[in-house]
Formats: sequence, structure tokens, C-alpha cells
Amino acid sequence: MEISPKPFSIFPRSFLTAAWLGWKIESNWTDPFLFAVYSIIKPLAGAMILVVMYGVIANGNYNTPIFAYIYIGNAFYRYVGDVMTGISFTIIEDREHYRTLRYIYTAPIVVPFYLLGRGVARFLTSSFAVVVVMGAGILFLHLPFDLQKVDWLLFLVGLLVGVVMLAMLGLILAGITLLIVNHNYAIGDAVSGALFLFSGAIFPLDVLPVWLRPIGFIIPVSYWLELLRRALIGNVAQAFPTFSSLSNLQLLGILVTLAIVFGIISVYVFRLCDHNARERGLIDLTTNY
Amino acid sequence: MVEIPSIETSGLGRIYKVRAAQKGEQKQLVALQDINLKVSPGELFGLLGPNGAGKTTLIKILTTLLSPTSGWARVSGIDVSKNPEAVRQRINMVSGGESSGYGLLTLRENLWMFAQFYGIPSGEANQRIKALLDIMGLSDRANTRSAQLSTGLRQKMNIIRGFLTDPEVLFLDEPTLGLDVGAARDVRSFVRDWMNDDPRRTILLTTHYLVEAEELCDRVAIINKGRVLACDSPAALKQNLQKESIFEIHLDTTQPLDAHAFDAIDCLNSVHLQPVDNHTVMEVYLEEEAAVAQVIGRLTEKSARILSLQKREPSLEDVFVKLVGASIEEVENADSPAS
Amino acid sequence: MPTLPPVKTRHTGWMLFWMTVWGRSYPRVVGMQRERSWLFFDIFLPLMGVSAYVFVYRAIHAPEDYIGFVIVGGVMIAYWMNVLWGMSSQLYWEKETGNLALYIIAPGPLMACLLGMAVGGLFATTLRALVGLVIGSLLFNVNYTVVSFPFLFLVFLAAMIALYGLGMATSSIFLLLSREAWHIANLAQEPIYLVSGFYFPIKSFPFWVAAAGSLIPLTLGLDAIRQLVFASGPSLGFISVPLELGILVVLALVFLFVSYLLLNYMERLAVREGKLTDIRS
Repeated sequence: MEISPKPFSIFPRSFLTAAWLGWKIESNWTDPFLFAVYSIIKPLAGAMILVVMYGVIANGNYNTPIFAYIYIGNAFYRYVGDVMTGISFTIIEDREHYRTLRYIYTAPIVVPFYLLGRGVARFLTSSFAVVVVMGAGILFLHLPFDLQKVDWLLFLVGLLVGVVMLAMLGLILAGITLLIVNHNYAIGDAVSGALFLFSGAIFPLDVLPVWLRPIGFIIPVSYWLELLRRALIGNVAQAFPTFSSLSNLQLLGILVTLAIVFGIISVYVFRLCDHNARERGLIDLTTNY
Repeated sequence: MVEIPSIETSGLGRIYKVRAAQKGEQKQLVALQDINLKVSPGELFGLLGPNGAGKTTLIKILTTLLSPTSGWARVSGIDVSKNPEAVRQRINMVSGGESSGYGLLTLRENLWMFAQFYGIPSGEANQRIKALLDIMGLSDRANTRSAQLSTGLRQKMNIIRGFLTDPEVLFLDEPTLGLDVGAARDVRSFVRDWMNDDPRRTILLTTHYLVEAEELCDRVAIINKGRVLACDSPAALKQNLQKESIFEIHLDTTQPLDAHAFDAIDCLNSVHLQPVDNHTVMEVYLEEEAAVAQVIGRLTEKSARILSLQKREPSLEDVFVKLVGASIEEVENADSPAS
Repeated sequence: MPTLPPVKTRHTGWMLFWMTVWGRSYPRVVGMQRERSWLFFDIFLPLMGVSAYVFVYRAIHAPEDYIGFVIVGGVMIAYWMNVLWGMSSQLYWEKETGNLALYIIAPGPLMACLLGMAVGGLFATTLRALVGLVIGSLLFNVNYTVVSFPFLFLVFLAAMIALYGLGMATSSIFLLLSREAWHIANLAQEPIYLVSGFYFPIKSFPFWVAAAGSLIPLTLGLDAIRQLVFASGPSLGFISVPLELGILVVLALVFLFVSYLLLNYMERLAVREGKLTDIRS
């Protein structure tokens, strides 16, 4: 029997079907009102932790560049955890909870595209959360945000490239998740928590000890957050010297380059982990861990 | 002295409220209706029926996991609804196709853990675990983490867990589900030996494998759609059918035959047609053997070529077909309430 | 068939209770330590996340004691996570895996099972917390000025009993919530970190906000611990340590009692509705 090569349609089919499924799963657990409450309270509480921390020390003076730096970095960092976790957690959900991973693997789809599609729902809920947090910051904490001064093109391009980059990181994590039996539920959140330290999300990289700073310079998330800050609050972002020697275009170029590099790495890592998982029979392993 | 039944039910019923696909719409699901059973100590009692018949619901009620909505049930003379704690000291349960315990514990540790929940001291528990592992051929895997065992071995561990506590009444809910033929045979052999070892032990076994019920059970209750249709020993159930003659005819036709075409034949009790591969198997239940000639005649009129004809002894499947009008497989393929 | 050793002894009553506690705690006391990867996932990675908050305080030039607040708070987060995911959601997870039915039909009380989970979880988490505390304190040069070790131990003990009592109480509720339980647990992370003041003194909040947050035992536990181990602790305390200890003891008794009532209620309801084994409605 002749086996024809994969048609191109298999890629969007894998992605779109997975995106539909991801949305069904994300939105199915309760009624829309409760879902909205959940999507507002969690991100706001996360932001408020930093607001209170700052307020305790600064005696409530939020009209400073460092506060804007912290607040915006934290707001957009949400994408890091949600997109990466959304993709890597799919492995755990489908393998241990829904017990469908074996059927996904034996279906004529492209598994990495399937995983990326499953992350779409998380991206959408993240976006909602980011808008809520930014809105609260502008309305109640007087973030120095001027709609007319926002560089929308830079913002949208930066956001898009960043999300793709995060998806590639998520794919790397998904591959690793295939091989790890216990603790795998925490892997996405744990790694994003660790990246929180090195990406300059809530404090400038210059605050880190000198020997740790280079880590921040090889993480694409650092450049991504800096790009977003420049697009949204350009003058405030310039108050911090970390990336001051780089122009917007240079920053974007580094981000794109790193995104491509991590994209290539993700393809190889996922393939390697996938191969190992098949060899060790981990695709359909359920453990009751 | 009056013997207390190991299991006794009277008018037992269970209705579930089920949320339907349309929001707000609710409907009722009758899982069990008017179940009246009495199982004596030392009996291996079978509950035979298709998926969705109500077997698991009955077991859940008897093991205190579910309360009945009507009637009552007693295990070892104790009401399962009024005094579940006392019942739990006397029972155990194994559900087929499931594993138990925790992946990061070894096989032996998982079994030891469950023994603690039954108040069995560690020394005694470990002795029994060792002996049971030997019998089930799992001694070499005693220190393997259960996450690393195959599904079949985890199921065997689950079975050992059920026997470990030496219960007065043991409930086996499709215990060989998911096991390969050899493993299933070993389990059945073990169950028989365990019963023979102590005449006070009672087992209630649910299954939809007819061979299992015939091989193991002292008595069998046939259940379908929440009702017990018949209850007797396999031999007695089949004997009722021996008043009939059963013929199995293989026909070289895939054209659908109308069973009503044989209505005019005297002494014909029922006809059952089933397409199989490239031909049709026809089962004919006759009051008199001689009437088979009329059946052949009708088949000839219908231009159906007979590949083979044989008379056979009734099986529990025949009993089921007689009671329900379809085989277990056919009932499972049709819509049926969940169990 | 070879003769099986008979079961000669079947303990009941309190003996059965404690055997069940020990049996259920075993997977957490022994099993969880088997995979050495816990050193990475349960200590190293969370420590990195907590360190980010340390550097926030450094970036805004906070007093050094605040670094200690973050380290201690970050360590205590491990207990909250264990209560959320290892206790509250656990019965629901046990139902999903089929173990819950086996616990119910066993003569050992379900309360003992829950207590075993709590004891095991407390042990495993304390192991991780201690390692994290030592490493974090060394890394960031945290200075401790312990006022009273016995008082500190009492406060910690009372907070843990109250906290795990809360976990036992919520586990019954979560069981009945079914699928929503996971999301409720997920929702109870950042908001609790906020109102419980894991990274800052709750004195910063209006009184009634802090009082409401005090329903979570870790709030007062953390506040009391800060007052007992940091030089600036007493000036940043919400209420006095003896009062906080008293409230924690009351919370412990209340939560344990409520968990007992809720568990009985849950079991009766679940048996009536058929929710102990499969998801039917």
C-alpha cells in the first residue's frame, strides 16, 4: 500500500483542533461568571503582592520609575507561566488524567503542533488577565501610561515574537515532561518561577550579583520584557541602564534571533525526548503519583 | 440455630438522578429494581449480566459505598445502611480493570499499607503478603514500585489486596477484566482454592463472562436492566432449557432472514439470528426435536444454503437469551442504563 | 494451594485508628523521599522563585530584615501548597484513582486516613522547609535574633495543627466540588499569599483585612514567628505573640472539630448521591 507524504493541512488541523479542545477544557469547569472571577482575582492578587511590598517600603509613593518597572514586568510575565505551562501541562493532563495521550500519538497529527494548539486557550486567558492587571494599575495606581505615546507597532510585534518564543520554551518543557514521572505537574510553574529571578521581570538585572547577570542576558524573556516596557512606557524604561546601550531595533533583533535559536533547540529536544519516551514506554504510563 | 445469610437483600432498589446534556434537565436512571437475594455462607455466588445491568451498583450498595433508594440489604446479618462500620470489618472488594495504591510505593508496601487499614499487625500482614505473592507468582516483583509494573501485574496486586485481609465476604467485581487468558485462569483457580480452604468464606462475583460464571459459581443470578431474571445453580438453569432442543445452524447467506418467517412452525419456541463473518448463525429452540425438519424446510424455501447443523447442550448464554431475548453481546451493543 | 498464614489479630478502636494514620502517612514519610529529584523541584526551584522577591526588596532598598521575611515566608508557602494540593485536593484525587472507595470500605476511619495524610505531608514538607530555610538564610545572609525557642516551637506547632486541620476540613468540601476543586485550589494561591502576608507584615493592611486573613492559620503563625526571630519583628507585628498563639490554638480546635463534622457529613452525602466512586452528575 502506497503511503503518501503528510499533506500540509495536517499542521493547521493539528493546531486548530487542539486549540478548540484546549478552550473547551479551560472554560468547561464552571459557569462563565465564576470563570471570569477566577481570571480576575488570581492575576490581581499576584500583582497586589508586589504593590503592597513596594508600598510598605516606599510609604505608598507609587509615582516612581521603579514601581512602573516592577508592575508592568509582573503583568506581562504572566504569559511566561501560562503559555509554557499550558503547553507542558498538556502532557500530564492527557497522560494521567484524561488517559488520551496514547490516542493522540497514534492519530495522524503532528504532536508538537497539537501541543502548541493546546496552549492557545491559556494564551487567551492570560491576555485577559494582563489587560485586567494593566487596567487596574492605570486606574488605581496611576501608572505612567499614555495611550498616545505607546509605540503600538513595537508592542504588537514584540508581543507576537515573545509569545512564539514562549511557545518554543513550552515545547522544550513538554519534551522533558514526557520523560519525568513525578513532579511533572509542577515543572511549568517551577521553571517559570525560576525564570522570574533571571529575566529582569520585577527588578533590573543590575540588582543581581555580577556573576548571575549573564544568565539574564541569554534568556530571551529579558529582552522581551524590556521591549514591551519601551513600547508602553518608553521614557520610564529609559531610566534603567541594563539595556540602555541597545536600540529598539537591536533589542527586537536579539529577541527574534533568540526565539529562532530556542525554536531550533525545541525541535531537537522534543524529538529526542519523544524518542526516549517511546523507547521507555512512557507515552501511556499512568503512575498514580 | 438459624443460619444467618452472608448476603441478603429485600426489595432493594437504586435510582440515580442524572444531569442530562441539556442544562437544567434532569432525568432518573433506574439502576436496580426490587432485588431479592439470599447468599448462604460458603457460597460462591455469581451475578451475570451485560454492562449496564446493575451489577456494580449492587456491589457498591453491599460494600457500603452507595445507599439504596428502596428496600434493604444486609451483609453477615448487618444492615449496610444502618451500621456500615460493622460491615466494613467483615468485607473486602476487588474491582477489575483497576489498580490501587500509590505508584511510588513498592508492591509489598502498597499491600502492607492496606493491611494497616484493616488493623492487621505488620508481622502477620507481611507473612500473608509473602505467601500471597508466592501463590500469584509475584515474589520477584515484591520490591518493585507499582508505577513500574504492567497493568496486568497491578491488577494482580489489586486482587491480592482483596484476599489479604481474609474477609468473611469478598466482593469481586469483574476481577479478571483486563487480564490475559493465562492470568485470568490463574485467578479463577486461586479463587476456587481459597473458597475450598475455608467453608465459611463467601464470595459474590460479578461477571459478564459466561464461562467464568459456569466454572466458578455455585449459584448464578442473571440480571438485566436492574432486575434479577433468574437465580439458581448453573446446572439447574440450563436444565430448565433441556426441555427444549437447541440446534445451531450455520447458513451460507448474508441476506437478512426474517425470524418471523418461522412463526408458523409448531413447537418452535424461539429463533435467534446472528450474522458472523460471511455467514449467518441461526439458533433454534424447539419443544420437540422432530420439528427441526420443518425449520430445514422453511430454510430451503428461502433458498438459504445450510453449511452445518448441530444439536448442542444449553449454556448459560442460552439461558440468558431465553430470558432476555438477545445475547449479552447484543444487549451491550444496544442502549442500556449505566451500572 | 499452600496454606495461607491466618489472620489472627484484627485491631479495632484506637489501635486501628493509629495504624490507619501510620499506614496512610507512609507514602509521604517514606515514599516521597525516594525520588532525589525533590531536592531540585521542591527546594532549588522554589528557592529561585522566592529569591526574586528578595531582589525586589533589594532593588527598592528595603531594610535587611525584610529579606528574612521573604525567606521565612517563602519557606512557609511550601506548607500552604502542601495543604492545598496534598490535603484539600487529595480526596478528590483519591476518588479519581479509585483509592477512595477502598479507604471507605476499610474499617479504618476516614478521619484517620486524613490525619495520616496530614502527618505525612507535614513531615515531608518540614524536611523541605528546613533545607530551604538553611540554604536561603546562608545565601542571603539573614540574621536571626530568636527571642524564645520554646515559644517559637509552640507557635509553629499550633500553626501547623490549625493549618492541617483546615486542610482536612476543606478536603471534604473539595471532594463534593468534583472538577471545580482543582480550580478552587488553584485560585487559593496568590490571594492567600497576599492576605496572609507571606512577604510583608500584615500590619500594612487595615485591621479588618488583616483580621480576616488571620482565619488562615499561617497568617498569625508567620506574624508571630517574625516577631520572635527578627529584631524589627515586634515593631512590625500585627498583635502580640501570646494572643496570636491563643488564637491559633482556638483555630486548631475549631478546624479539627469542623473537619470531623464535615467528613461525616460528606461521607453520608456521597454515599447517598453515589459520588464516592464515579462521576455521575
